[in-house]
Amino acid sequence: MGQTERDAFIIGSDDLILVTGAAGFIGSRLVSCLLDLGFLNLRCFVRPSSEVTRVEALAGRRREGARIEVVEGNLLSREDCNAATKGVAVVYHLAAGRGEKSYPDAFLNSVVTTRNLLEASLRDQCLRKFVNLSSFAVYTNTKKPRWRVLDESCPVEKHPELRGDAYSFAKVKQDEIVAEYARKFGIPCVTLRPGHVYGPGNEPITGRVGIGTFGLFLHLGGSNAIPFTYVDNCAEAIALAGLTKGTDGEVFNVVDDDPPSSRNFLRLYKQQVRRFTSIYVPHFLSYTVCYLWEQYSRWSNGQLPPAFNRLRWHANWKKTRYSNEKLKTRVGWMPKVSMAEGFNRYFEACRKGVRDA
Amino acid sequence: MLKVAIVGCGKIADDHAAQIQRIEGCEIVGVCDREPLMAQQFYERFPVKQHFSDLRDLLCDAKPAVVHITTPPDSHFDIARLCLDWGCHVYVEKPFTLCEDDARTLIALAAEKGLKITAGHDDQFRHAARRMRALVQGGFLGGGPVHMESYYCYEFGQTAYVRAILADKRHWVRRLPGKLLQNIISHGIARIAEFLSGDSLEVVAYGFTSPALKRMGESEIIDELRVIICEQERTTAYFTFSSQMRPALHQFRIYGEKNGLILDQDQETLIKLRGKRYVSYAEKFIPPVSFARQYLGNLATNGRSFLARDFHMKSGMKCLIESFYRSILEGDPDPIPHSQILLTARIMDAIFVQLDARQQQPVESRVQAPV
Repeated sequence: MGQTERDAFIIGSDDLILVTGAAGFIGSRLVSCLLDLGFLNLRCFVRPSSEVTRVEALAGRRREGARIEVVEGNLLSREDCNAATKGVAVVYHLAAGRGEKSYPDAFLNSVVTTRNLLEASLRDQCLRKFVNLSSFAVYTNTKKPRWRVLDESCPVEKHPELRGDAYSFAKVKQDEIVAEYARKFGIPCVTLRPGHVYGPGNEPITGRVGIGTFGLFLHLGGSNAIPFTYVDNCAEAIALAGLTKGTDGEVFNVVDDDPPSSRNFLRLYKQQVRRFTSIYVPHFLSYTVCYLWEQYSRWSNGQLPPAFNRLRWHANWKKTRYSNEKLKTRVGWMPKVSMAEGFNRYFEACRKGVRDA
Repeated sequence: MLKVAIVGCGKIADDHAAQIQRIEGCEIVGVCDREPLMAQQFYERFPVKQHFSDLRDLLCDAKPAVVHITTPPDSHFDIARLCLDWGCHVYVEKPFTLCEDDARTLIALAAEKGLKITAGHDDQFRHAARRMRALVQGGFLGGGPVHMESYYCYEFGQTAYVRAILADKRHWVRRLPGKLLQNIISHGIARIAEFLSGDSLEVVAYGFTSPALKRMGESEIIDELRVIICEQERTTAYFTFSSQMRPALHQFRIYGEKNGLILDQDQETLIKLRGKRYVSYAEKFIPPVSFARQYLGNLATNGRSFLARDFHMKSGMKCLIESFYRSILEGDPDPIPHSQILLTARIMDAIFVQLDARQQQPVESRVQAPV
C-alpha cells in the first residue's frame, strides 16, 4: 500500500487496532488483510475456546516490526472489554453469537457483548472508529416488488422477533445499540452488512439456496441471485470501511460482483463436490408452506414454532438483486478474488471436507 | 387474574413465558434481569407489562403473586427468600438450591408464611411420566418399587451452552459445588426420589472426566457419573449420567415385585413389562407382539395429543405450572411434595461430597488394585 493511499486512512500504521472474533472465519482474514495494508500494531481478541492457531500463524508470518497481541477473554466481562480496548484507535467488532437457536443466548452474545465493548471504548477517548459487523439478515424484504435492488437504503426488519431466527433478531438489536451509542456519545461508527460469506472454513450450503432439514435437500432459491461474498473480499471491505475517511455513520452492504443464481450454484456444487438429490420447490409453494406453517403455529399455540414463516421467506427466498455500488464508490473497494476463483477455492475445501468425513 | 413475574431472562425463561401464556387466568406483570438489556429483549418478545433490573423494584411496582425464578442456581436461594419475604409464591427452576440445608430453609420459610413453593422438575409432568405415575399409584408394580434405573444423558458438542462452559474458566456453572452435574442431573435424580421415602439412605457415587473432555484440556468438569442408591436394604436405584454413551438416553425404569415399566422421555413412550413369563417357546413370540402393540399404542396416544394441540416440547412444564397455580388458587396439594424436593437435594449433596473427596485425592491413590 502506497503512502498516498495510506494518507486517506484515519489512523497511522502504528496506531493500535483491536479485532474481536479474530480467530474466526472472517476475523483471521481481516487480521491478515490489515497486516497486508501495512498496519503494525494489532490486538486480536479471542475466546478461550477459539482455535487461536489461525491467529498464531499470522503472528508467525508478520513482517518485521509488526506486533500482534493475542488476548483471550470474554466480551461479557467488562474487565476483559476494558483491557481489550485500552489505547485502541479502531475497533473491528466481529465477535458474535452465531449458530444460536435461542433468542436470549444470541442476544447475550451479540448485543450485551457489543454494549460492553462500546462502553469500554468510551473510557480512553482515543477511539477513531468502531466497525460494527452486521448482516444481510437484518433487512426486511416485504412490501417491495420482486427483483428490486436490495441496497443500504432498504428498511431493517421492524419485528425481528417474529422472523423465527435468533441470529437475525440479535443482529437487528446489535445495530440498534451501535446506532444509539453513536448518537448519544458521538462514537464514530460504521456498519458493514455482508451477504453470504463463503470460502474455506464455511462449507455448508447457505439456507438461501435451500435446506436439508427434512432429510432431503429442498431447493428453494431457484433463479434467485445469491448474495455471495468471498471471505477475503469481505475482510478487505471491512478493513477499508474502518480505515477510510468519511464513513462515520454509514452502512455498507458487502456482496461480490455478479453473484450466481441459486440454481447455477447448486449445479456447480453437485458437479464439483458431491452428487445428491434435491427437489426444487417453486416460490409460490414455499410461500404457501410458510404461510400455513405460521397459521398452524398460531392455532396450536406454538406446538410447532414458526421456524418457517413469510418474513423469513421474504428475506431469504424472494427474488432480489443486490448492489455493491456504495462500497465501491465511497470506500474504493473492489473484489480482488473473482467469483470463479472463489468458488474453486471453496469447492476444494468442500471436497476435502467430504473426503475427511 | 393471577399476577406472575419472572426473574432471570435467559433461555429457560422463554419456556416459562411460552407456557404461562398458554394458561388461562394469569398474566405476566413483570420480568427482571440484573442485565437491563436482557430484561428489555424479553419484554419486547413477550406480552409482559413491565421490565426491571432490580428485583425489589419488580416486587414493589409489579406486585406479583407468583415469582418464577429462572436465574443461575447459585442465586436461587437469595432470590427465593426475598420473594417469600415479600409474600410471593415461588416456582424455582431446577436445581432448587445448592444444598439440602438451603432447600429446607426455603420450604420452612414458605410454610411459616403460608406460601407455596415448588421446584422446576417439569420432566415428571410430561404425558408419559404422568401415565407412569398413575400406573404405579394404581398398584401395577405389585407394591413399592424394588429397583429403579434412571438415565439422564447429555450430548456435548452440539450446544452453545457446553461450548461456553468449556471455554470459560469463570463460567457460573464452574462455581457450583457440583459444577455441570449440579445444573443437569436433578431431573434424573428427582425421578428416583419420587419413589423413595428417604429413610436410611445410602448413596455411592463414582464420577470422572471422560477421555473426550480430557482431550479438550478439561480436567475440572465431571461428565460421567454412576450412582447406586439404597434405601433400608429394600429399594435400590442406579443413576447414570453420561456425556459419551449413545444413545444419549433420558429413560427411567422401575421394577416392582410383579411388573415393571420403562419410560422413555425422548420418545414420550411408556412400556409395561410383564412380570410373569410365558411357558416354553411362547416367551419368545408373545412378548415381541405385545411390545409392538404397546409401541403402536404409544404412537396413537402421541398422535392424538399432537392433534389436540397438547404435545408441546415443554408440555410437562405447562402441567407443572398449572398444578402449582391450582395449589395456590384452589388449595390443591403441592404438585411436588416438599419431601421429594428435599430428598433430591440430599441425594445430590451426597453425590457431590463423594465426588469432591475423590477429586481431592492424588490421582495415583485413586487407582485400585485389581480384584
